[in-house]
Parts: sequence; structure tokens; C-alpha cells
Amino acid sequence: MRFLLIFALLLGAAGSLWAQHDEHQRPDGERGSGRGGGGRGGWTSQPLLFLERGDDRTSTTLRMRGSEASSVTVFGPAGGQREFQFVDGRAKIEVADAETGNYHWVQVRDEKEQHVGIATTVWYSSLSGPSPSRLLETEHSELEIVPAPLPREHANYRESEKWRFAVRYKGQPLSGQRLLLETENSSRSTFVTDAQGVATVLFPRDFDGKSGDSSHGARLRAGFVLSTEYLSDGRHFVTAFNASYGEDADRKHSLGWGAVFGVFGMLSALPLLRRRKRIASKEQSC
Amino acid sequence: MLKSWIPNLGRLRLIVQLLMLFLCVYGSIFVGNYMADKLSRALPALSCAYDQMNGGYCVLIRAQHTLHHQIGMAIARAGEVTFSMVLPLLFILGSFFAFFFVLGKAFCGWVCPLGTLQELAGRIGRRFGIGVRRVEPGDLGPVSRVRPVKWLILVGLVFLLPLLTGLGVTPHTLGNPYCDVCPARIATTLLTGNADQLALSLGDGWSFGLGAAANWLIGFVLVGALALRLPFCRICPLLAFNAIFQRLSPARLVKPSRASCGSCRVCTTACPMDIPEISQAEGKKAYNEDCTLCGRCAEYCPQDGVIRIQWANMALFRSSREYYKARARNELPDGTIKPVTKGQSDV
Repeated sequence: MRFLLIFALLLGAAGSLWAQHDEHQRPDGERGSGRGGGGRGGWTSQPLLFLERGDDRTSTTLRMRGSEASSVTVFGPAGGQREFQFVDGRAKIEVADAETGNYHWVQVRDEKEQHVGIATTVWYSSLSGPSPSRLLETEHSELEIVPAPLPREHANYRESEKWRFAVRYKGQPLSGQRLLLETENSSRSTFVTDAQGVATVLFPRDFDGKSGDSSHGARLRAGFVLSTEYLSDGRHFVTAFNASYGEDADRKHSLGWGAVFGVFGMLSALPLLRRRKRIASKEQSC
Repeated sequence: MLKSWIPNLGRLRLIVQLLMLFLCVYGSIFVGNYMADKLSRALPALSCAYDQMNGGYCVLIRAQHTLHHQIGMAIARAGEVTFSMVLPLLFILGSFFAFFFVLGKAFCGWVCPLGTLQELAGRIGRRFGIGVRRVEPGDLGPVSRVRPVKWLILVGLVFLLPLLTGLGVTPHTLGNPYCDVCPARIATTLLTGNADQLALSLGDGWSFGLGAAANWLIGFVLVGALALRLPFCRICPLLAFNAIFQRLSPARLVKPSRASCGSCRVCTTACPMDIPEISQAEGKKAYNEDCTLCGRCAEYCPQDGVIRIQWANMALFRSSREYYKARARNELPDGTIKPVTKGQSDV
């Protein structure tokens, strides 16, 4: 007990000293709370949707780049949908359903003559509610890129990881469809959907030497966009899905130090394995 | 057939524990990726949200997040506490209590994945002949010295620090400090083949320090559990959290006054938490804050009907001399496995 307290005090003191040099206010960056992707544009020609930090769990601000759409539609996990108007490229969006939920599909549609441009992202409102299975199965536009599955709470897309994305046209899987991945860290790669219309996307390991709005030891994040295009009945559909991905777990993290403290804990427990010298409780037979 | 598979309450509990371990750690395999949203985000067991295959989230992570993001930050912005700020916390407590009402503190003794892992380590220790250590005078010291630690951790790491972080008093990395030191986070994610949580963040001192404490704890718990029963449960803030509500659940330990009781103390020896009150007290005092409703005290009580596990007025299990004799035949009250004698092996 005494050893535990001393150990805790030492850790606290070391942590306090170490933390003093970088103690500053967490920036309210565009990447702060949402997963809508990096805040900087210019690294892709695809339309991008950025989610800013919301005042509460029922609303947030959406910023758009690369599209001339006048409105955004928010689809809720329970089937509801609401439309909001952009003012100067920004729209305050709210949860779509009275019953609400965590997962919301956010979509912008820009239609000009025979060209249909669709930009999508996902907004996690952190409200309790149904799983996003129904939301992801529902058709929201002709050509769609749908995460299969979405990262759950406390999970994120990260470099070096493989995630699956389904491509659908009018609700049907598109096999052999080319999917382009572009990242804020200047990577570009293509993937092709399989017979079930699913592409397995490898997030490139491209955070080397990068710096960004990582606060208090949190992992760096950058935007990515997946896009695909499809011609049908003389119409040209281009769909993009953008979000953010983070550094690999091994960057700025040390498995070696983790193992050292784990082994130290094991060694600290070794005295318990010695047989006690005297038995205090004299168990009496009844 | 059933009797041979489940000969006693201990075996039934082991089967339930293994099923719950599977549900808590790998639940999404069966019910889909988003099962945590379906089951609950406020479970009264250390089912870790960092495990991406789990079936539900521990109530402590939501309590910390709500105090940090919603209450603390809202007070910092508006300078006052409103009902709408407290509402999410009340909702979490409501979700928690919907589960807790059914099983009460049996969530600790029958469901918690970290409890199960510690007990499995203890079984290994006894199988290899490692003697059981006790938190009692004459061995590791009186249990009363350890009991306040879990309350300090609950108040300090689950309630106070997240709130102070939301208010901007403490650094952002102290937003969910209990999760940062929780050994269940490391144990359950390792069980899914993910070593990310074992790695220490080198970003700042607080993250490193809290992570180091968690790694030290999981190392200590895994080795310590070979000799000391349920070493982490004794300081677990979820046990304290559950203890706040233990009188409100119909699931409980009952020990009425009985003149014949109090002399043998076998129940305390059988108790994996070394609770002396179970043998020395009666009534409400016997159902101590450290009790996990595992039922071992009732199993090893040699007096008919002295200790009962009840749900409301319904006795789920009651002590009996005949049961005790059969139970103690293969396993001693402290969990030591009796060696198989020649006569027994012939049978």
C-alpha cells in the first residue's frame, strides 16, 4: 500500500514537471472533434466537407469546399432527414431525427446539366441511439461510397490500416469500379471493387516528417477523400467520401517502454508469491 | 448430464464468467460491429470501450466523458450549472441502473472480464502450488487499509479530474484519467490481438505517467493474482461505484442473525475479497461494500440456511451442510485444489 502511494506520487510529480512545458489551451481546430477530414483544402480537386466543433451534441457547423451546392442534407440513423442552407460556404446542421443517435450521413449534391457531383461524410454526434447499419444500407444518392463498416467510437481510420468501402449505383453493388484515394499528406492510390462491390482500402503510411494540430500527445490527423465516377444514361456521376485518418499507433508511442513498466509491475508482485511466514487465520473445522 | 457439467455454484459461475468474458471482449463477432450501441454504453462491468470487438461499454468511461465534455466545459462557458448539463449524467445513471437492478453487484463477481481473468490466473497459481496470500492481520495487513483506495480512485480519477479538466483547471490529457490507468483496457485489447494500448504515449508527461501506471498495474495484477485473489478488485472504482447502489438492487447477500454462526470463519476464508464481516457481522453489515456476490461464502458455509444469495424475497442459493461437504471434498475454502488421493483416483 505504502509502495503504491509512493509510486503514484513519483509518477504524478514526474508527469507534472513534464507537462508544464507544453501546457496550453487545446486549439479549436477544424479537426478537433469531428471526423470530417482535415481543414485545409488544395490537396484534391474533389469536394470536401469539414465538420467543426459543435456547441452541443445536437448541432455542429459544416464547411464545404470545392462544390457550389446551396444546401446539405443530414440523414439520421433512424431514417429521418433534414436539409440546411449554406451561407458563405457554411451551414449549421442539426440532428435529423427526433429520436436522434450517434451516426449521421451528411451529403451535398451539386447537379449541373449532365454532371452530378456528390460529396459525403459522416458526423458522429455522440448521442445514444441505434447502430448505423440501417443508415448505411439506405440509398441516399445514385452513386455512393459507403464505409463497411464505420469506425466505432474510440476508433479511427489510421495509416497502414485496411478498411473496406462499398460502392453502389442505385443501391446495387458496382464490381470492378475504380476508387481513388487522396490524402492531405499528398498520397494518391487506386483500388478496385470486388464482385460484391467492396474495395479494401489501405491507408498509406505518409505521416513521416509531418507536423499538424496534435495537442497534448494526441495523434496527428489528416484528411483523406475517396472518389469514384460512373457514366450512366448519358449522365456523369462523381461521388466523394471524405473523413480523417490518424498516425499509426507506433508513432510517438513506445511499446518498449510499455513492456518495461509491465515487467516492472510483474517484478513488484513477485514478493506475493513467497509463502507467508505465519498463518493468521486459524480455520477451525466445523 | 447437467449435474456432471454443473455440479456446484462455483462451476456455474465459471461458465457464466467465461461466456461474459467472450461477450464483453469479442461480442461484436456475433451481433455485428456496432453491438456496443445495442447492448449498453453504461455496463456495471469493466467492458472496455477501447476494445473494438466488445459487446458494451463500461459506465466509467461515459461518466468521465460527460463530466469532462458536457458538465465541466459547459460550466466553464456559461459559469453556472443547469439541469440540461446534468441531464446526460442522469441518463447514464439510468442506463446503468437498468442493468444493475437485475444483477446488482453480481456484475463484479459474474460478469466483469478483468475479474474473470484474475480468477483464471488464481486457478493457475493454485494448480502450480502457489500459496494463497490474504489481506488480513498476520499476512498482508487488515483489509480496512485497502478499502479507502477504491473510493479515492472513484472520486479523484472518475469524478474530480475529468470535471476539473472540463473547467480548464487541469490539462486536457486528464480528461479520462481512470481509463488511462485501467488495467482492463490493456488486458481486454491484448485479448483481441491488439497491442496498441500496451504502448506508452511519449507525447507529454501526463499521458506517459498514466500509461506507465496502467502497465505497471496490469503486470502487478497478472503476477499478483497467482497468489492474491482478485488483487485489482480491491481498489477498483467500479466496485465502489456499484457499492453506492448495492442496497437498491434486489440481488443481494443475506445473513440473518444466527447464534450458531461466527465461530468457524470458513466463509471469510472462502471469500476472494477476504471480507471479515461476512463471518463476524450479520444483517446489512454482512453484505459489505467489497462483496462481489460471487456466492463462495454461501457455498462454504457449513450451517444450513445461514448465508443466502437472494433476489428480492427469492432465495437463489442457500448454504447447507451437505453442499459444503461435497464442495470442500475437491477444493478447500481458500481455493486450494485438494490433491487426488489413491482412493479417489481409483473411484
